[in-house]
Amino acid sequence: MGLLEEAFEENVLTTKVDWLINWARLNSIWPMTFGLACCAIEMMAVGAAHHDLDRFGAGAFRASPRQADLMIVAGTVNFKMGERVKRLYDQMPHPKYVIAMGACATGGGPYYKYGYTVMKGVDRIIPVDVYIAGCPPRPEALLEGLMKLQEKIKRTPVIRRPARTA
Amino acid sequence: MEFQAIHDRLKAQGAPGLLGFDEPRPANKKEKDPGRAGMPFVTIDPAHMVEFLRVCRDDEKLKLDILCDLTASDPSADSEDLWILIQLLSIEHKHRLAIKAPLPKSAPTVASATAIYRAAQWHERECGEMYGITFEGNPDPRHILLPDDWEGYPLRKDYEFPREYHGISCE
Repeated sequence: MGLLEEAFEENVLTTKVDWLINWARLNSIWPMTFGLACCAIEMMAVGAAHHDLDRFGAGAFRASPRQADLMIVAGTVNFKMGERVKRLYDQMPHPKYVIAMGACATGGGPYYKYGYTVMKGVDRIIPVDVYIAGCPPRPEALLEGLMKLQEKIKRTPVIRRPARTA
Repeated sequence: MEFQAIHDRLKAQGAPGLLGFDEPRPANKKEKDPGRAGMPFVTIDPAHMVEFLRVCRDDEKLKLDILCDLTASDPSADSEDLWILIQLLSIEHKHRLAIKAPLPKSAPTVASATAIYRAAQWHERECGEMYGITFEGNPDPRHILLPDDWEGYPLRKDYEFPREYHGISCE
């Protein structure tokens, strides 16, 4: 850190604001308490002691969208629920992230052909950051999805916006 | 009571609308009969369904006091009838009765069973939205599972899948 390295007394660290903010964000991704179908059972298993989502700072499931950073769409989304999902997403504060967990949330899954009320993927109503394959995905897969999301957050510029290409 | 005894009792009591009964049978190759699995049921005329259910519930020997299920079925695209299927249970006598009522697709209207079994309320709402059956006298005939503005009856054999819903493509 060059000039600043010796300028302060001990126990003062210098770093970049982007790095610091992203470090805070990616280590405290609070998901919303929100499960739609059988994928939610796997999500609960991830939250429990064996897989321990808390290792990633993401174990604090919030009961309100206003306190949540991450929406794990765990299960089949039908049209009636889809409108509620959209409303919950709109109520979440920025920055907010979405994981589409499992085949149903990704693209309709087993209900693709004959599910007359099933939405063919939750990305038709809200932007999705990470898709996880599986029906349902194993807990390890959800953990990997969370790590992918952390990598994505790490790459995100916060203060310095990328130059816009016209 | 066994099924045959229940049927005879219904007949002896003059249960209105009783048309007949059907029992499972083994396959018979000589007569090219594929046989039938499942449980025995009585067939009734849906126009007298409420009075029939009243006899089932109130008769001393039957006392079928619990409505286990009330649903419907569209047997095939060629069939002119929908079926209303009812399962009753007697706690006291430990016997069951299955009822089938063929209802013409051209006029799927029937009196509500809620006058006899209040539990029929939700079941009738589901039959209404899935098969387009109108239950006259149901106190709250809104949709129960589908969105309120849903068009069509999804479990009918001739149902056409929607192309979009509220601007969201279904393709």
